[in-house]
Amino acid sequence: MFPTDTMAQGHAGAEYGFAFLDEDAKRELRRTIFKAVCIPGHQVPYASREMPIARGFGTGGMQLTLALLGPRDCVKVIDQGADDSVNAANIRAFFALTCPGVSGTTLTEGASVIQTRHRIPELPLRKDQILVFQVPYPDPLVLVEPNAAMRRRMHGRADYARLWVKLYEDMVAFDEITISHRYPTRINGHYIIDPSPIPRYDVPKLHQADCLYLFGAGREKRIYAVPPHTDAIPITFADVPFTVEEFIDRTTGKRHCCRRCGATDSFLDEFPDDAGNRVFQCSDAAWCDSRLTVQEAAE
Amino acid sequence: MTVLDLAPVWRPANHQALFRLILDIAARPGTLADLSAHLGDAPASLAALATFCDNTQALADLTGTLDETAWRFLDAQRAAPEGAGFILAAGGTAPSFTPRIGTLDAPEGGATIVLLVDSLSEGPPLTLSGPGIKTTNTLHVTGLAPDWLVARARWCADFPMGCDMVLTDATRVAILPRTTKITEG
Repeated sequence: MFPTDTMAQGHAGAEYGFAFLDEDAKRELRRTIFKAVCIPGHQVPYASREMPIARGFGTGGMQLTLALLGPRDCVKVIDQGADDSVNAANIRAFFALTCPGVSGTTLTEGASVIQTRHRIPELPLRKDQILVFQVPYPDPLVLVEPNAAMRRRMHGRADYARLWVKLYEDMVAFDEITISHRYPTRINGHYIIDPSPIPRYDVPKLHQADCLYLFGAGREKRIYAVPPHTDAIPITFADVPFTVEEFIDRTTGKRHCCRRCGATDSFLDEFPDDAGNRVFQCSDAAWCDSRLTVQEAAE
Repeated sequence: MTVLDLAPVWRPANHQALFRLILDIAARPGTLADLSAHLGDAPASLAALATFCDNTQALADLTGTLDETAWRFLDAQRAAPEGAGFILAAGGTAPSFTPRIGTLDAPEGGATIVLLVDSLSEGPPLTLSGPGIKTTNTLHVTGLAPDWLVARARWCADFPMGCDMVLTDATRVAILPRTTKITEG
């Protein structure tokens, strides 16, 4: 089990400025975040700093979080919904080392800033919470246009014709749109963003949310945002409704349930257990744990 | 060890706190942030500039209220409003310049205009809508010349290009991103 304060593992003797980055770097990040919020969905370039982990392992999200955090914050870090997988655990340890005074938690409802890789928590976020995404590929147009300058032009003019063609080709070849994660999503009727590799299941949570979503791509040096109460529409055709993962068991026709908490309304991870059977479990560990706690209290 | 007796508005810890307050209201146009806990003797407008400006930024002061100390700490280059990334202007005086509004490819080049107004809690209501606002939000402003809203509508007519406004009275701030639609009444 985690201690209640997951940041209580601070290493004495480590001498860094608060939040690791120098003040100029944080100020530049803050200017970029401000413009990203003012232009919803636009990928604002910034000078992604060297971090003590390799680019592509969440440095964009880390820099955003470091620019946000102050001593009164409580931070939660998740990777695929879990607090204890290796990427989340190491990033949390880094925050504990470099942000003295910041507390940590595994509880979604207890955090003021949540850094995430590939999931949005099941529990709806409040207006006083910020969700920071680690983004590997910020530009949805990279599928259809290799030239970065041309992609910027296309974004500015909201010229997404080739992206629609890609979806149409999917319909012709497979009778369905075959994008499982990183689903292109139109923000405020203009820019189409890559919402990071969240599953389709999480995409509707971007639409008219109460909280602020910030996206940081460290390797690609881009920051973008979806402000609260902003339209975020996954692109699809009028006669092809957007669908999310259903987890239907083909043999019984019923939805799979979590093997721990029995949830039938959460996003599930599928994996083989020790005996080789397919099992399903909530991907959001905090959600699963909180359901289990409620069930144990009821017994 | 010598501890510098910096005014609160120049302390990094306060910049973080100020940024979070400003970010929160930038994401929710029309809401106010009270910065007084981090200001000391400084006005809210200076706190907003201190949060964002450094030696990579060009700043135009059209009010003449920035003293030499403020300029040194802000460390920004002095620029004409047409070329500045940040503009400090008086809300009571109609604008006589055209700010940067960015380009289609790089709309983030649009200026941030910090406007000094008399009060953000009195005066005729402005009805706001757009991203960050559930239905509509109301902002009361006194000391803002009507020409500012006319000019802003012109500058922000072609999304994604436009400029973003930071309205400040003595201690409070409201943000009008380029996406916010304003109707009077």
